[in-house]
Amino acid sequence: MPIFRPGEIKIAALLCAVLITALAPRIASATLGEPEITVQSDVAQLRASIKSSEDRVGYRVHEIQLPSGTLLREFVAPAGNVFAVAWNGPTQPNLRQALGKYFDALASAPKPKFVDHRHLQIQQGDLVVQGSGHMRAGFSGRAYLASAVPSGVNLGDLH
Amino acid sequence: MALMRAVRMGLGAALCLVAISCGGGGGSSTSTPAPPPPPANNVVSVIVDQGPTVNGSPIGSVNTLFATITVCVPGSTTSCQTIDHIQVDTASYGLRLLAPPLTLTLPVETLANGNSLVECTPFLDGYSWGPVVLADVQIAGETAKSLPVQVIGDSRFPTVPANCSGMTTGIAEDTVTSFGANGILGIGPFELGCGDCDTNAAEGFYYACGTSCTETVVPTAMQEPNPVTRFAADNNGSIIDLPAVASTGAATLTGSLIFGIDTQSNNQSGTQTVLTVNGNAELSMTFNGQTLASSFIDSGSNGIFFADSSIVTCTETGLTSFYCPGNTLTLGLSIQGANGVMANNLTFNVGDTQTISTTAPTDTYDVLPQLAGTLPAGNSDTFDYGLAFFYGKRVAVAVEGDTTSVGTGPYIAF
Repeated sequence: MPIFRPGEIKIAALLCAVLITALAPRIASATLGEPEITVQSDVAQLRASIKSSEDRVGYRVHEIQLPSGTLLREFVAPAGNVFAVAWNGPTQPNLRQALGKYFDALASAPKPKFVDHRHLQIQQGDLVVQGSGHMRAGFSGRAYLASAVPSGVNLGDLH
Repeated sequence: MALMRAVRMGLGAALCLVAISCGGGGGSSTSTPAPPPPPANNVVSVIVDQGPTVNGSPIGSVNTLFATITVCVPGSTTSCQTIDHIQVDTASYGLRLLAPPLTLTLPVETLANGNSLVECTPFLDGYSWGPVVLADVQIAGETAKSLPVQVIGDSRFPTVPANCSGMTTGIAEDTVTSFGANGILGIGPFELGCGDCDTNAAEGFYYACGTSCTETVVPTAMQEPNPVTRFAADNNGSIIDLPAVASTGAATLTGSLIFGIDTQSNNQSGTQTVLTVNGNAELSMTFNGQTLASSFIDSGSNGIFFADSSIVTCTETGLTSFYCPGNTLTLGLSIQGANGVMANNLTFNVGDTQTISTTAPTDTYDVLPQLAGTLPAGNSDTFDYGLAFFYGKRVAVAVEGDTTSVGTGPYIAF
């Protein structure tokens, strides 16, 4: 059963365009390391919606609701680039989309010692990716570019 | 699930009645009933060792608990294979087998629309993709007939959906070495690993594969259950019983996995602490004065994982997420169940991981009770107490909705 009727889709698309125009470049949500402005495709690719955008001291956070129920948060530095993404919810987000050009670094990164199935811990150059979780409870994690984290931002707040 | 169980129990009761009435039909109603069959052997030996052998060498596991199981083509007593080094995991649900060591061809489950049922398993360090097949599974003397089981890396389904491979590192965990075991036996305190896959076709769980694969809902009876719940008897939970180990560790450790709770003389409950887990299979732990509401006890975690910025982390490559306090720390912990019951005054040790990983003889040790590492600082409400929790304890895991003499699952008791 379609969620929207054709007429509604048209209206929704129009509203969406208006919203994007009105809020750009404030709304972004983007791929790690990319400019905030690039992002609409990200939300579209993930079949997601932006739930909220909030200015915090030193950065801006866009919260994206994924269809799986997982929340993806993208952290934008004052200069306009996404310096971190974080997630939590019933499933892992599509990191290939959220990490963009950095995704391939995950596979090529040296495997840490003592790996198990519950933890993800990768440090490859500037890129840090961490995650944990288990069945029934869900998953959480984050990825950030160490050199791009604005000064004064507490890493503990990136979640 | 409760309904399913009620239906099964009802069916069982009906069959029982039929059997009784048929038995009585032959003649005298005063004949002595046949003695009940002897209880099944419900104990399998488990071991923490260096893991399965690949190309002549063990893969080098650490703090990983293994059992040996036998898998048969459904209905067959000859097309069977005994597989060693199946990881015993109390924080997942269902049996998953790696395709490379599997010599049997097991039938794939088919959905009502004719598509094959294939699963993307959400482990963190990589993705595990493969069909859900049916197998008769025997562990010790217990058998689960026509059990849905995942085969990871099955060559019949080589194409992985992008939203499965993209969920973790992009690394396929489809070999024994990359997965770290010949399979994994998920015996956590629930029947199923996914609470709503019968109504919600979420990315990263089940897929219907025809010419291509798309996310699908799956009837609960077709999902991979905790195999214990499908045993004919001793199916209300399991007990992991491991001896104590020296704080400096050991090369190997051997113990028992016992099926059923209060069903036989060897699995009776005693005076242990019974902690009910919440719907996420989690408990509340208090550490460093902080209450960590999303904590869990997990035989499948190889370390003790928590966030404590006051403990120095290691600098050696590959160890930077583990703690390196120099001298061993002894820290306190208390655990509270969802039923309000407390386990107070527990202690655990945090060793210097760099020392642990390099000092002889520990470099040949596979049992490392003091291995402890970080969780991302954002994970401030989790304490993940891994296999070290089980060393020197007898830990019972009761399945949701099942009753024992000391409570109703889901619970963990020790």
